[in-house]
Amino acid sequence: MSHPNTSADPSDPHGIRASADGTGLLLTVFAAVVALSLANIGLSTSIGPGKFTLPMQLLIGTIQAGLVAYYFMHLRHGDKVVILTALSSLFWMGIMFVLFLGDYMTRQYVVTG
Amino acid sequence: MSASTHSPVLKHHFEDLGQQHACERLGIWMFLTTEILFFGGLFAAYTVYRMYYPAEFVFASSYLNRTFATVNTMLLITSSLTITLAIRSAKLGDRAAVIRNLLITAALASAFMVVKGFEYNNDFEERYVAGAPFRVEYDKAVTKLAPLSDADAAKFVKDNHANKHPEIQHWAAQLALHNREGVGHGALDPGKVQLFLCFYYIMTGIHGIHIIIGIGCILWVAWEAWRGTVPPENYSTVEVVSLYWHLVDAIWLFLMPLLYLAGAGAHH
Repeated sequence: MSHPNTSADPSDPHGIRASADGTGLLLTVFAAVVALSLANIGLSTSIGPGKFTLPMQLLIGTIQAGLVAYYFMHLRHGDKVVILTALSSLFWMGIMFVLFLGDYMTRQYVVTG
Repeated sequence: MSASTHSPVLKHHFEDLGQQHACERLGIWMFLTTEILFFGGLFAAYTVYRMYYPAEFVFASSYLNRTFATVNTMLLITSSLTITLAIRSAKLGDRAAVIRNLLITAALASAFMVVKGFEYNNDFEERYVAGAPFRVEYDKAVTKLAPLSDADAAKFVKDNHANKHPEIQHWAAQLALHNREGVGHGALDPGKVQLFLCFYYIMTGIHGIHIIIGIGCILWVAWEAWRGTVPPENYSTVEVVSLYWHLVDAIWLFLMPLLYLAGAGAHH
């Protein structure tokens, strides 16, 4: 649970107010995601298309999505079943990618007739 | 009997508010899982074709408008912040701030769609659309550049002076130049360039539909907050919509590099 059902504060019996995010934290995460976006655009433009450009772009995108998921989507509150659900979506997508690419990326190795 | 059972927000089939909020959160996450897999299918298809036709994808991407895309990225990230601030306001019981933050979020999302509209309009005016418009424009460019000698065509490409020659700045002229025999560049298949455009329109189009649905949900929660049905005990109503909204934002963070940055810094 992201907050306890009961709280020592009588004006906040469910601990809801106590679980509110700090504005400073949210603004810091926001600034980090914006900075990473600008870095991604700047680096991509200066480097140009190359072997390592796409992995770099996707790495930055993954860090950004991770920050959004952890802080803005409240995965940091540690609701275990929610974390499991979020990870399971990545797990299933991983299976899809492995099977999908395992077929398409190996077709040139098939020896025919 | 715990204090939470007295809350008017508590639904009868839940033991307490903590359980109710956890169930609401789990429910939306289950939905988000299907959304991640839905977009995952599109990303997987994109990956295969990008690996098969890297040059065409880079060329096609280089003619998308990165200024519009950058503005839209900033709009979406800011909207993610404002909707998270709306949850905070809901938890603190500041109803005016909840409504204000939700309306700002909806305004930012609407601005995203307006920019997207300008971008699509720009693409359509450039005839940068898969299918007949693309074909007609490309064939026109090939005919127009036919009198140009191979040496001059090679010079245009080699010197990378497209910016000094407005007549060959257009994507169709560049594609036709690339495909001139003797120019020295690998030929680019116009069909594969259009394949990228199919991904571009389908992925941004489906994302745009998600944005429109999100705007509707955000306005609905703002309306509920205005009616006074979102007290601190019911903050999860805002959170559920925000989780959907953040996912739409996170997907854009991947669409941006895959579609718009693939051709960033490419020289013609």
